[in-house]
Amino acid sequence: MRLQLNEPAAPIKSRLRAAVCVLLATGLPGVARAEGSTQLDSSVLLYGERDRADVVEPTVRVTRTRANGQSISVGLVYDVITGASPTGALPSGQVQTTTSASGQVTTVPAGAIPTTTFQDKRYALDGEVRLPLTSLLASTFAAHYSSEKDYSSLGASTKLSYDLDQRRITVTAGAAFDRDDVFPVGGTPLGLTDGSGALDSDSQPKHIASGLLGVARVVSRRWLLSLTGTRAREDGYLTEPYKVVSTVDATSGETVGQLTENRPDERTRNSVLAGSVTAIGADVLHVSYRYYWDDWSLESHTADLMYRHDVSDHSWIQPHLRWYAQNPASFYTTGLAAGAPLPAFASSDYRLGPLRTMTVGMSFGFRVAASAGEWTIRPEYIRQSLASSRAHEEEEDGPPEPGDDGLTQSAVAASAPAVELPPLDILSLVVAYSRHF
Amino acid sequence: MIRKSVILAGALLIGALAAGCGTVKPWQRDLLARPQMQIVPSPALKAVDEHVYFSKEGSMGGHDVGGGGCGCN
Repeated sequence: MRLQLNEPAAPIKSRLRAAVCVLLATGLPGVARAEGSTQLDSSVLLYGERDRADVVEPTVRVTRTRANGQSISVGLVYDVITGASPTGALPSGQVQTTTSASGQVTTVPAGAIPTTTFQDKRYALDGEVRLPLTSLLASTFAAHYSSEKDYSSLGASTKLSYDLDQRRITVTAGAAFDRDDVFPVGGTPLGLTDGSGALDSDSQPKHIASGLLGVARVVSRRWLLSLTGTRAREDGYLTEPYKVVSTVDATSGETVGQLTENRPDERTRNSVLAGSVTAIGADVLHVSYRYYWDDWSLESHTADLMYRHDVSDHSWIQPHLRWYAQNPASFYTTGLAAGAPLPAFASSDYRLGPLRTMTVGMSFGFRVAASAGEWTIRPEYIRQSLASSRAHEEEEDGPPEPGDDGLTQSAVAASAPAVELPPLDILSLVVAYSRHF
Repeated sequence: MIRKSVILAGALLIGALAAGCGTVKPWQRDLLARPQMQIVPSPALKAVDEHVYFSKEGSMGGHDVGGGGCGCN
């Protein structure tokens, strides 16, 4: 805009009219800032495991932020899951035929990993309100509900954030409570039985109370650090109703049958997450490390690295690496000796085993000219594998520690056959779009 | 050994959090104010990731408290 210094002064009404026209023509930026803004975030996840499950998950979130910092956010997630999931049973030299609690008969070829096919849809709705209480103190309240064929979850959480030291430090404390219900298709089987007994048709409750304490600090003009600790207490039905444990003939090593799995009905989870964000020139490096442990003796390490590089004013790339390793839960076993006394708890769910996950991905972000929105496309490759039981034992620093259930890893593992399960290859693609209004 | 390393790294981090390296004035926060400098730069992608890894691994959480329950694990 150019000032016309020599033009005769226009009447005040004309000037105001002209000013209003200019504001309207430029999309009312000043007015929009004064009244707040709206943000739309949407994404679609396409996820596929080789010979296993496929997931399509669209999400949408709308966040309205007022000029005083108050905001309200509503999100909706819809999942469509199809495919197959390992039952936990061992491959056998012979054809295996199993009948699930819902009456589904599955025939597994000799040498193949037994899986059960499934199809489910899940929707989740959540809302969050952020209220600044003072210029330094803010509170957040959130609630969610999700539902699927055999599971529902209802929960609420609250957080308080306080800025200290000229806003160089932010301390956050939070708490949440979830009430979940599990209602397995066909009923709930008794744990460590052959599944032929009476099924419990009631839904199985599960409660989760969790807390969070975190601190984030501006270390320098280019460096931000954070440290967050969480603790969650779960109680109720924590068993996977569709998973089984193979029974194995101690002499021949052949699979002779299977039992439903059984887990403790309490679990306390803990995590400490350290994060660093560093500006390197115009690029940004994100590094984080999480240490997790629980009273099922499961312990894990997660390292995550992202490096964002702006290719132009309208586009960027961000390589991503993630590495995850866990030690097994105390009652994890590949199988139980047929005829031997049963332990109190046993599971062959690979997610409680000596699991390793490696993720390699790349995000591409760009803005289309003349559009206020930003697109992100992120393909990733994930590989999961189970460390062999021998390798795992060598990693142990000392003798196995008893879990809170009084069970040692060796007590279950003594009868467990050594098996090598092939790694699981996963491809995922996220397409996301965000824009301000 | 791993636990000792974790404790040592945690102690170093707490030290860095407590001490800092200097004073950053409000008008020096141009870089820190960029969206990509947020601790979680894309909450939407983070939520997708949390869901995927929660359903595929034995651990969970770390970034936030509560969240949508799921029968996937």
